Amino acid sequence: MPEKKQGSSDKVVGGNVDITRRTFLHKSLLTGGAIATGSAVGFFQTLSSMEVANAAGESFSFAWVSDTHLYPQTLNQRFIDKATRAFGEVQAMGSEFDFMIFGGDLAQRGDPVELELGAELLKEVTIQKHFIPGEHDWYLDLGEAWNQHFGESPWSFEHKGVLIIGLDTVGSAPDYWSARGMTPKERMGHMEALDGSQAGPWSGLGSKNRQWLSSALSDWPKDAPVIIFSHTPLWECYAPWNFWIRDWRQVHEIIAPWQNITNVHGHVHQPLYNEIGGMRSIGMLATSWPWPYAPQGVPEITKPMLRVDPGDHFDGVGWGKLSMADGYMDNEYMMWREQVFGTTRADSGTGDNQNQVLSPRIADRGWTGD
Amino acid sequence: MLNTKTKGLLALVTVVVCVSLAFAFMVNRASAHKVAHDSETLQAFTDAFMEQVIRGDNLFHGGTEPGINLSNTGMACAMCHPFSSDIHPHEFPKFQEQMSEFATLRDMINWCIEKPNEGEIIDPDGEQMKALEAYMYWSNRGSVLDPGRH
Ligand code: HEC
Ligand SMILES: [Fe+2]
Ligand SMILES: [Fe+2]
Repeated sequence: MPEKKQGSSDKVVGGNVDITRRTFLHKSLLTGGAIATGSAVGFFQTLSSMEVANAAGESFSFAWVSDTHLYPQTLNQRFIDKATRAFGEVQAMGSEFDFMIFGGDLAQRGDPVELELGAELLKEVTIQKHFIPGEHDWYLDLGEAWNQHFGESPWSFEHKGVLIIGLDTVGSAPDYWSARGMTPKERMGHMEALDGSQAGPWSGLGSKNRQWLSSALSDWPKDAPVIIFSHTPLWECYAPWNFWIRDWRQVHEIIAPWQNITNVHGHVHQPLYNEIGGMRSIGMLATSWPWPYAPQGVPEITKPMLRVDPGDHFDGVGWGKLSMADGYMDNEYMMWREQVFGTTRADSGTGDNQNQVLSPRIADRGWTGD
Repeated sequence: MLNTKTKGLLALVTVVVCVSLAFAFMVNRASAHKVAHDSETLQAFTDAFMEQVIRGDNLFHGGTEPGINLSNTGMACAMCHPFSSDIHPHEFPKFQEQMSEFATLRDMINWCIEKPNEGEIIDPDGEQMKALEAYMYWSNRGSVLDPGRH
């Protein structure tokens, strides 16, 4: 078995497997000696049904780009350079990919100028593109400009035996602005800070989107593969930074009967991996900048990324190349550096946090409107 | 011409003034240690500290003050250090890899202003530096002191 899985992965990444930059998503790969993180054995028991799940399906690859966080060009050229590099690389490999998904946070302040700039840069990519919004795209005009440019979400389609779903996990925030009389700019300002105190648990599906998800899944065979794209992770990683959806319990109830779901998400700007029931969840890189890991650390099955060099703005960022073959999801982080994961404490992005105790910020807590 | 009585009175007044001044001086200087703190005094100390924490929090989150420019990229410190994460004030001083030298927290604050933020470094003993430092220590309070750690 291990040989076969290794083989299928080889095929997908073109024979030149660089195991240090990939998230292996199946037990047989982990136990097959492919990587040497001793703790990795046995985590994938719950997903053993995958082994036959999509054996008949055609394999395919796609590209993920997200979190470009564009400012107007006059303010910041770096983010443009990095987005341009990602789009250019996707386009150069275009024939490998069936499509590209843009996973949200195209803009930084939801500014129409930023969204237009993004739309312009995205023209570089001529393969089919799909879009889901991030909170930074949304809270200046509540999604108006975003929807005009990139269409509404959620959406779903069937592709080579896989049900592909794109969710909107950002647009149904509990209203934190009306009662406080915030202007659209103030609303966006509070949303813009990941560690802000005012925007609250903005990430979630909300009842309307949950209903939509139930019906989108309803006819799909329980053992057939599903890929769900979302800006924020569909599990609770760290609520204070909205590294979650607030209604993940309800959502997990909805998706529980499906045994082969892969959630691919942005927002966390870091390699992140978890499994809950029949769902595995993969956190993707930003092109703009990496976030530190949440203070309480990462699931044991996450391979944390290397510490980032703050002097090199191309470090710790990039995009992602994902493949579905024989029912197996494979992810390769296209990070713009040699080594992606940190294996020792001194090199790991979480290794240095063991003595660290953090408190939420204070200066924006008493905001009553001005 | 002052008569003796007046002179005596003047001398007395002078003595009284001097003694009371000295006493007031002593009380002012020493009350922090010689007299038990009442809650108002303690609150005043806390307020003075928290004022700097809030000032530092604002600077850290992209706020500006006249005469300084912490960033030319639009990026605030908090965009890479939410909740002041990965600042590790409790690990300083240490050998700082990025600078290839032994560094204090203030050195590293200025380094991050200069490199990722492309801003203008600030006076290492200035008010804004103290405020930034106050915010970082406050939001990392409870962390284990571990100087020199990489
Ligand atoms: C583009 C992202 C980015 C921005 C913006 C940024 N930093 Fe950093 N900073 C980093 C990274 C990455 C590290 C390295 C963290 C590590 O080594 O664990 C770092 C390290 C530090 C450290 C040293 C931590 C240690 O343990 O060595 C301090 C202090 C610091 N930054 C302060 C600041 C301040 C103050 C600002 C704003 C003026 C700022 N940073 C802005 C990315 C950034
Ligand atoms: Fe983002
Ligand atoms: Fe986001």
